[in-house]
Amino acid sequence: MWSVLVSGLATGALFAATALVYNVMFSTSKVLSITTGHLAMLGGVFGAFFITGLGLPWIVGLVGAVAVGAAFGWLTDVLAIRRVLARSDEHLWLLSTLALATMVQQAVGLWWGTEPRPFPRLIPQDFSAGITDQKFWLPIGVAIVMALGLELFYRRTMYGKLFLAMSEDAFAARARGVPTDRIRSLSYVIAGAMGALAGFAAGQLTFAYFALGLTLTLNGFIALAVGGLGSNLGALIGGAALGLLNAYSSYFVGGEFQQTISVGLLMLVLLLKPEGLLGSRSTRPV
Amino acid sequence: MNRSDPTALAADTAAAPTLAQPGLQSNPAMPDHDQQLVAAAVTKRFGGLTALDNVSLSLRPGEIHGLIGPNGSGKTTMLNLLSGYYEPTAGAIRYLGEELGKATVQRRAALGIARTFQKPRLLGALTVLDNAMLGAWTHSRAGFVATLFGLRSVAASDRALRDKAAELLHGVGLGHALNRRANLLEHAEQRFLEIARGLALRPGFILLDEPAGGLTAAEIEHLGGLLRTIRDAGIGVLLVEHHTDFVFRVCDRVTTLDVGRMIKHGTPDQVRTDPEVIRIYLGA
Amino acid sequence: MKKSATLVVAGLLAVTFPIWAGDQYQLHLAALIAVFWVLIGGLNLVVGYTGQLSIGHVGLLAVSAYTFSILAGTQGLHPAIATAAAGALCGLFGLLLGLPSLRLPGFYFAMATMAVALIVGEFIMANDGLTGGGIGLAAPTFPTPFDSPAGFYYLVLALAALVTWLTWNVARRMWGRGLVAIRDQPVTAQAVGVPVFRAKLKVFVFSGVTAGVAGAVFASLQSYITPDTFVFELSLFFFVCIIIGGRGSIVGPLIGTVILTALPELVAPLAKLGNFFYGLLLLAVVLLVPEGIGRVFEVISERLRPRHIASVPVSPDLPRLARALGARR
Repeated sequence: MWSVLVSGLATGALFAATALVYNVMFSTSKVLSITTGHLAMLGGVFGAFFITGLGLPWIVGLVGAVAVGAAFGWLTDVLAIRRVLARSDEHLWLLSTLALATMVQQAVGLWWGTEPRPFPRLIPQDFSAGITDQKFWLPIGVAIVMALGLELFYRRTMYGKLFLAMSEDAFAARARGVPTDRIRSLSYVIAGAMGALAGFAAGQLTFAYFALGLTLTLNGFIALAVGGLGSNLGALIGGAALGLLNAYSSYFVGGEFQQTISVGLLMLVLLLKPEGLLGSRSTRPV
Repeated sequence: MNRSDPTALAADTAAAPTLAQPGLQSNPAMPDHDQQLVAAAVTKRFGGLTALDNVSLSLRPGEIHGLIGPNGSGKTTMLNLLSGYYEPTAGAIRYLGEELGKATVQRRAALGIARTFQKPRLLGALTVLDNAMLGAWTHSRAGFVATLFGLRSVAASDRALRDKAAELLHGVGLGHALNRRANLLEHAEQRFLEIARGLALRPGFILLDEPAGGLTAAEIEHLGGLLRTIRDAGIGVLLVEHHTDFVFRVCDRVTTLDVGRMIKHGTPDQVRTDPEVIRIYLGA
Repeated sequence: MKKSATLVVAGLLAVTFPIWAGDQYQLHLAALIAVFWVLIGGLNLVVGYTGQLSIGHVGLLAVSAYTFSILAGTQGLHPAIATAAAGALCGLFGLLLGLPSLRLPGFYFAMATMAVALIVGEFIMANDGLTGGGIGLAAPTFPTPFDSPAGFYYLVLALAALVTWLTWNVARRMWGRGLVAIRDQPVTAQAVGVPVFRAKLKVFVFSGVTAGVAGAVFASLQSYITPDTFVFELSLFFFVCIIIGGRGSIVGPLIGTVILTALPELVAPLAKLGNFFYGLLLLAVVLLVPEGIGRVFEVISERLRPRHIASVPVSPDLPRLARALGARR
């Protein structure tokens, strides 16, 4: 019984981390990028590659995976966001991020293979560790640390405050001399690093699998919508709710209807409280 | 006009019996004739901000009514309330006797209320003619299924609307550009196209949001001619504008707003020479 | 004049294709293009004209393919009836899916449609008694004269021509303008009285019906369907055909469909790249020619034969305007 709870929280933590990544990118660009789930995929795949494939120590693998994520975040801004935002056609970024997400998924699939491959143990631990297994606690810990880290970043650092300013009114921020393009680029780099870190931490849970991105984009988005766009606490709550719902419905009804149930939750929230549990009315992207 | 001459002032008051008492606050709404489009004691608040405070405005058919005021005075808010993009916090909007309060923008279009936008909102990918025809949507008899199966009635309806739209376009001066893509138009052409689109709706009232913005003096004269022709056809015109000279030249009545309140209401001469209005525009 | 001549020639080529086609394989490919166009043509109104980012139509294709295979195969109904039933069922699906999701903002709607594709996949695997699960189902052929490759080709060609005609009707009339308004200037669409939600819904249901018909003939063409066929990437493929062909056009996405279906078959290295290539193509189009490849041709021909647009000052014809306004009072 506890194992259902713990595994639900662990997958929920990955969803929550993805929702946090959405928030960071949305705050400076007002864009919800379809590449969001793929960052975690890159973290898991490259983590496995560096550690198992190249035999590097896990800390190097971690840094490497996070670097790959940060690089892909930057690439997302350069390719899919920057030029597109400049044009007047509002929803081209949906197409460009969809295109980039497809490209990265297929490229990784061609290189890494289409079968899920194992992710290495990071801390020496027996495989019969049950609910204390690191594959559960690593993602949960990382998600919480990330959320706290973001709060500190926004409240205590200069850059964090610039992010918030841009999030409120990008036009006014630019008028005040804030270098909005560079801030946005930075936010995408940070988001990329965060996403890869989450994927790395959850690697033992999800395995290194090229097709993880799209379902995580969807589930991370459901967590975001449930918790409320723009709220980091909401991201944690939404992620936990979705993860637990998935785990318990699997346990009681069987795992065949996971996606249906997840989307059902999304639809329920959108009908009852469209801005999410902790979201504010005005942050709905149009 | 000599402001200190009491007989002149009285004559003016007689000519427009609904003039407000001196002061800044509300103007008693005109008696609700069913042909008018009326904003009755309307207030609009956005959170803590009061954009309009107890303002009344009535538009009559066959009349050009100017709405002026400095930035932030609530002109566009009033226009958005009349056209249905906002709902009033207090007060009512009435047309043809019907209280419009929650009526959608589309419903108001069907009732014959047309509008243009401060920044022209054209379909750049379509031709000028297509853009103008779009204005006649509510007069198109074509349902989706009928259109799908290519029924003759749909083709006939389309042809009739096309002919009318073409006439309107010639009328506003865009006859040379009927098949041009709308994103290739000059600024003045865009503005006039929006007006043609509004007229294609066969409106009882057309609400214009700063149509003179970015126009040359010659183009503004043309615009004035258009507005007079529209008025003479019996359509009521609301002209929200910054170009106060133009407003005073072309309007039959003028209302001035400042920070959401109605300051003065009357003929152009009355408004232009009102001390409060002068103070607002020239500074204390 | 040039345009209709090209169309006539293309039409003749299509109709006579079985005669001059190289082999059965090419005929099969041509039929596949026609089948895809039946779906994409309908979806074009949703994506290309109304601007709704629906990326889940592979789910509808799957529902229809399985419905057809079950009704016409296991249950023994006449394939024509099974096709009609599949079409109606998918139209209903379109309605049920569209009602809650078409009011949502762009990204939310896209995610909802993507979720549908994934849910359908789940459902197929979960009900393996009905659907054969991972093993799949056989799909019957149509009765004579449509059971030969050439006969079937003519059947789907006729369906493709029908969808082209239907959507062309919508595109060139007032509805077409209204849909483009919803896509590009929703505020204007409201201001002229377009019932935005209802319009989106009608078009979406129509795209469900065409997907339904497409799924039935798709199953018959493939003669055997498995869940592997209906991966999310197929939805992406439909979507890319439309965007590359150009939004707001019927012919553009048609050409896009022909080219993108045939390309991997003709250019072998591309087949290996598969969906990476589609993603790359989509990105290139969005960044470089967002109006689609059709527009590229227009721009090139405008450069070759430049029509100088003389700057004519606007000069109203007030009497004419007065007459136009008087005529309607």
